[in-house]
Amino acid sequence: MPSVNTRVFFSKTDRAKYISHLDLNRVMQGAIKRAKLPVWYTEGYNPHMYVQFMLPLSLGQEGVREAMDFRLLEEVSHSEVTERLNKALPLDIRAVETTVPVFKNTDITTAEYEITADIDNDKFLKFAESEKIIVEKKTKKGMYEIDLKPLISELTVGESITLRLPAGNDFNINPALLLDAYCDASGEEIRRIRIVRTKILCADGSEFR
Amino acid sequence: MTEILYKNTEMMNRLDEFLLDIQKPARYIGGEVGSVIKDKSKVDVRFAFCFPDTYEIGMSHLGMKILYGLKNAVPNYWCERVFMPLPDMEEQMRRRGIPLYALESLDPIREFDFIGFTIQYELCYTTILEMLDLAGLPVLSEERKELTPLVVAGGPCVCNAEPLCDFIDLFIIGDGEEVNLELMRLMEQCKKENASKREFLERAAQIEGIYVPSLYDVVYNDDGTVKSITAKAPAPKTVIKRIVHDLNKAYFPDNFVVPFCDIVHNRAVVEVLRGCIRGCRFCQAGFIYRPFREKQKSAILNQTRCLCENTGYDEVSLSSLSTSDYKDIEGLLSCLTDYTSKNGINLSLPSLRVDRFSEEVLKEITDVRKSGLTFAPEAGSQRLRDVINKNVTEENVLDSVKIAFEGGYSTIKLYFMLGLPTETEEDIEGIYDLAEAVVEQFYANPNRKKGKAPSVSVSVSTFIPKPFTPFEFEPQASEEEIRSKQKHLMKYANNKKISISRSKYDVSLLEAVLARADRRVGRAVYLAWKKGCKLDGWEEYFDMNKWREAFAECGLEMSFYANRRRDYDEVAPWSHINMLVSREFFINENKKAHEGKTTPNCREQCSNCGVIKNIGGDICRAIR
Repeated sequence: MPSVNTRVFFSKTDRAKYISHLDLNRVMQGAIKRAKLPVWYTEGYNPHMYVQFMLPLSLGQEGVREAMDFRLLEEVSHSEVTERLNKALPLDIRAVETTVPVFKNTDITTAEYEITADIDNDKFLKFAESEKIIVEKKTKKGMYEIDLKPLISELTVGESITLRLPAGNDFNINPALLLDAYCDASGEEIRRIRIVRTKILCADGSEFR
Repeated sequence: MTEILYKNTEMMNRLDEFLLDIQKPARYIGGEVGSVIKDKSKVDVRFAFCFPDTYEIGMSHLGMKILYGLKNAVPNYWCERVFMPLPDMEEQMRRRGIPLYALESLDPIREFDFIGFTIQYELCYTTILEMLDLAGLPVLSEERKELTPLVVAGGPCVCNAEPLCDFIDLFIIGDGEEVNLELMRLMEQCKKENASKREFLERAAQIEGIYVPSLYDVVYNDDGTVKSITAKAPAPKTVIKRIVHDLNKAYFPDNFVVPFCDIVHNRAVVEVLRGCIRGCRFCQAGFIYRPFREKQKSAILNQTRCLCENTGYDEVSLSSLSTSDYKDIEGLLSCLTDYTSKNGINLSLPSLRVDRFSEEVLKEITDVRKSGLTFAPEAGSQRLRDVINKNVTEENVLDSVKIAFEGGYSTIKLYFMLGLPTETEEDIEGIYDLAEAVVEQFYANPNRKKGKAPSVSVSVSTFIPKPFTPFEFEPQASEEEIRSKQKHLMKYANNKKISISRSKYDVSLLEAVLARADRRVGRAVYLAWKKGCKLDGWEEYFDMNKWREAFAECGLEMSFYANRRRDYDEVAPWSHINMLVSREFFINENKKAHEGKTTPNCREQCSNCGVIKNIGGDICRAIR
């Protein structure tokens, strides 16, 4: 396993929200090839480009600061990486910034979301403040019940809803779970919804770098 | 930051309401790298390029990529892509009143100037109607009174466009590179002049390669055959297929739209030659794409490099009817692999002929990665291979297979047809004998990997007589005949290393009917569509009963079109179309087939098929 030396933050919005995580992998590898970035390939019978994504984004959700890592074999300035990627990426995926990785993906604990939906936001606030929000969560091992209430933090409700939920490869709460629970409880039906992951955060509350 | 030239936010919002409930929504939103967005206010002619099948199939088609790039290279023309949505998507669109839209702008295609279909196989005819209807347009040409949108169609099937004449305003016969632009220029002019649809069609009919069906009258004999086809002025008596004279000068795209999701062939494709020197008597493509033209090595290398760099693909495939017939194939492959192996690109050659399959060629394609190999002997015995003029011997096949096995391959696919003219039980047994000989070749290799078994899969399809081939006069075998032939083959099969797959008769029958249909069959296509037929090429949606009902309701017999021997002097429904190869040649070839006589390929000897007589000059120079 190589040590990665380059982290690219990117946005994935509008039409790109319909690109699944598996397809995103292909899209990014294609862009890196078109951008002719000298990245490390795995060795072996079928060499493939080594690109690691920090946190998958659910189909239909947008992200403004997602992250992926790879290893550059030759020095290319960070601004040039960003620029070359943007020329090679589809319009609705943009490289935002290229950096040297500071944290590991296991350091990720939380993500912040901005949710805009055609629901009664005041009612939603009351719901989110109820004592317990029991939902069924599906994992590889099966369904189990979980209380979302203690997991929600930094909740603010104005024209849109902002909140933080646990995130990471081991334990991740999809905000759609909370919205579904709200719909079940209130009987409201969502016709339009936009969920944007705005921040990826570490245990101490600092932004993932 | 890239400037956003156009965005249909309203449509995007409407799609956002339900796209997440749809299977693989990335197919329905466009926005891929390589897709072309233009400023609508600076565009004069808009073309909705429709592929009457799913995104995954249509996006794999080279012709669409060529014409897409070609039209978009003109600043004031905008060509966009449209595919057939699968039922889950279509149902939502219909429920919500969302008309069929193009993937680039998301604008409804009924607002476009052209709606153009490429027709690659007969079983997409009802899908064309479904797409027009989903677009909110009348499917019948005569009910669309305005100049735009004008519905046009091209592709191999339009060499007999008769069953589609009720629906399509005009057909493009032959190579599309030049004539598509001429049509768009005519549209630009006619829009400025406020010309009517009728005026446009009359002017278009005078462009070489354009067939306007409403300008032709068809009269039938009492027995149902065609009596005469008469052109109305100013349409020509016969429409001559359009060709690109020099492939090196023809437009070829330097970029492809790179899909987000996986498609059937997700790779770069470069055309190396057009046409075929072979003259296999069952093969429509072998005749309708004549003359044989090659692209220069330097152009092929250039296009390969350009495409791989612009798309980021790590696989490139060479496209043609028979890549090994490229004159300097070994030179071509060595200069290509020089580039591809240095850049980690996998080169694939899908159309190799067994008789030219050399060690050299195999080495070139296995340099990067090994995949399975496919051979198409088409018939099981030498006698029958001579009848169909597939000039390949058992020795050729076994030699090639031997090389393949020695090169480390262990999976071989063999393609055959059942129901070929003059076929006997011995010919059918020959299919299985050949497959067994292939298995034996594997064990004859002293260096084979121990413990590894060969896998030979035999695919047996039903022969379908096609127009513009020497077999256009032949009846298709009946269902009972094919059943008993299949049974005979299966009775003979007892080797576990050989798997046999057969095609469904109904599908082959419908394909045979539509391929040689006349104009009256358009009514049956319409009725079948009305009954719910669409995506007929998909087993899960195909419903032969609806088609049978449709034919019965308009008083037409499928067997009249599929299972009847046609006389040499019968007027073919497509006799007003000139595909450059003469009818006399086809008749002569048909006679030779029944005598079991072969015809040399064009490189060995010119057989005067009619191409040179029709075009003149040195049009076949690439053969020598």
